Amino acid sequence: MLDLFPSREASPFGRRLKRERGARIPVTVVTGFLGAGKTTLIRRFLKSPEGQGTAVIVNEFGAVGIDDALVRDSAEETVLLGNGCLCCITRTDLQAALRRLIFDRERGTVPPFARILIETSGLADPAPILQTFSTDRALGGEFHIDVVLALVDAINGGTSLDDAAEARKQVILADRLIISKTDLATPAAVERLTQRLQELNPRATIDIAVAGALDPSRLIQPVPRERSNFVAEAEHGDGIASFVLQPDGPIAWPTFSRAMETLIAMRGPDLLRVKGLLDVAGCRGPVVVQYVQHLAHPPVELDTWPDENRGSRVVFITRNLRERQVRNLFAAVQALTEE
Amino acid sequence: MTSEKSPLTEGYQPVTWNFKLLAHDMLGGFGGMGEGMSVQIAPDGRRIIWLAHESAPKNFTAVDVSDPRKPKVVCQTDLPHANMRSNSLETCGNLMAVAYQTSKKDLQPAGFELFDISKPENPKSIGFFDCSGPHSRGVHQLWFCDGEYVHCASGSRDFVPTNPGDDQFYRCVDVRNPSKPVEVGRWWMPGTRQGDNVMPPTRHPIDKGFRAHNTNVYPQRPDRCYLAYIDGGMFVLDISDKANPKKISHWTNSPPYTGFMHTIVPLFDRGLMLVTDESTENNAKDWPKLIWVLDARDETNLVSIATCPLPDHRIYAAAGRFGAHNIHENVPLPTAWQNDQIVLGTFFNGGLRAYDISNPYQPKEVGIFMPPAPPGAPTGTIQMNDVFVDERAIVYTVDRHVGGLYILEMDF
Repeated sequence: MLDLFPSREASPFGRRLKRERGARIPVTVVTGFLGAGKTTLIRRFLKSPEGQGTAVIVNEFGAVGIDDALVRDSAEETVLLGNGCLCCITRTDLQAALRRLIFDRERGTVPPFARILIETSGLADPAPILQTFSTDRALGGEFHIDVVLALVDAINGGTSLDDAAEARKQVILADRLIISKTDLATPAAVERLTQRLQELNPRATIDIAVAGALDPSRLIQPVPRERSNFVAEAEHGDGIASFVLQPDGPIAWPTFSRAMETLIAMRGPDLLRVKGLLDVAGCRGPVVVQYVQHLAHPPVELDTWPDENRGSRVVFITRNLRERQVRNLFAAVQALTEE
Repeated sequence: MTSEKSPLTEGYQPVTWNFKLLAHDMLGGFGGMGEGMSVQIAPDGRRIIWLAHESAPKNFTAVDVSDPRKPKVVCQTDLPHANMRSNSLETCGNLMAVAYQTSKKDLQPAGFELFDISKPENPKSIGFFDCSGPHSRGVHQLWFCDGEYVHCASGSRDFVPTNPGDDQFYRCVDVRNPSKPVEVGRWWMPGTRQGDNVMPPTRHPIDKGFRAHNTNVYPQRPDRCYLAYIDGGMFVLDISDKANPKKISHWTNSPPYTGFMHTIVPLFDRGLMLVTDESTENNAKDWPKLIWVLDARDETNLVSIATCPLPDHRIYAAAGRFGAHNIHENVPLPTAWQNDQIVLGTFFNGGLRAYDISNPYQPKEVGIFMPPAPPGAPTGTIQMNDVFVDERAIVYTVDRHVGGLYILEMDF
């Protein structure tokens, strides 16, 4: 469209945004294993000023929608996805529920909610949920995942992490980790769990919730993008690794996008989440890039860098794909595109 | 899904979406504001916004908005009598032009007044251009950005319209000597003046008049006037010879729409044009009143390619006006925000709305500010009337009846 109607103010990636989500509706995804305290946390959030105007979509695994009954009275709008786990069975329902909310909001038949909160089933793998927001063009245009939050309870969390791959994945893919029920556990147990979580996901912030009490802003504030003190490659078990690419100096967009296209074509299913800021040659602000498996979110350029660090930083969370392999691919593409 | 509440049944509900309210000032109880908003940097460095009032008794109000969180009224003046209004004003440096329109014809003062506003607390009258006459109500709207010419929608003593509602037309007035303004050119829609050699235009079912409204002229094309003509649609005029403006093109949406074209804002770099209607009927009777996006790459062949989407009008049909009115006009002053990707418009009880037009074929709503009805609001809703954005990207918007000034930050 810029070819027909060019604008001096526009970035090659469209309108420059103040923040990553632009004007899209922010979404908070709350994950956490069964009994971790998700519903308590959400109920408290909905009663706080920060929780005003939140539409809640609850996913229930099982016959009785108890969680839905608990939050319905507080939420502006509650959607119950009652027929199974959000990640694999009712993803279409999630899409339908979100579409319906947008439709009803525009028609004025639901109040003009300002945020969506998705409470997942304890067994949910968050990756397909994240994918929902990039696969579906219409949803990606309307919604933006601001926070992926995982609750881990201080009593049973360690066991869940030992026994269930889904629990580990919830922790690995989260932006923010909340340890609940610390009042029921010994300080030493909490310390051990904290250490374990840091090993699994060194990028996430870790907060403590006592009896569901947590600063409500933690459910809605996006986590600062790829903090610069990121640790080197981490192995998490299940073949999952995370690492950060920090190319020096501005990178040409064709180099980055061609490297990612190649990576997606060859190893798409193993890119669990790729997210970061790029210093793209010719752009004044950072370009936000995000991929979930073989799907790419449209890149957006921000008005300004979020901090003094102007360097590119892209976090990869991968399965059976090592940092060295990705670096080699980028180097090869760079060598070819520089010709 | 459940839905226990419905704005369709509950009427007006405030919404703030992607705007942050920094301050609200009821302007000393005189918060019924018109469609003149202009920001001056005073000689002492203060940032002053000058605001026109919708109706008597007040003439204009100046507010110190140096700190947008702490606005302070520094000046509020009175009109000479109640049968007039000063709905429009513009500043340029330390000069301000204020439009005077009377409620009936042949009253005075009808025209525009020029003020020296170098001391914002004490604006000093330095000139007046009389537009009164037996068929004239004076000036409804004016445009003044270059310090030299006032372009306005005005009547005139020597202008006898074919229909009494068609009394205001385009006039260009040289104010380089502010104490002696001189008309240098004029243009009216053929058929609206007695003696024209064409038939008068056919009236619309909701007859609001075939007369001028906004008269925008920009330094990018000083030889063009972008003239809205209410029920007559809009015209692009060649004013390279100010004494003899010539029509280049004409575009209208009515009928089947219900007229009252209000403002034209060209987006020069993009080859686009924004055109607004004004809603003038209560209870959304004239719905839809819209902001139109025109492909203006060929100024002789304007093509409508989109409109900015509005919510279901039934939500807003209960009270007051609902629909488009004023937009931020990229006024060519250093104190005005210049942008060609975001449109900010006021929609009466639809509040202030922002649209992303980076894809002009699909304008997308990105912000809403519909505050609670201000105390004493006769419609029980906000009636957002005008918007101006300064070069800091601070948004100022005003209520038509009582709410005064709202100062906002864009958050998208």
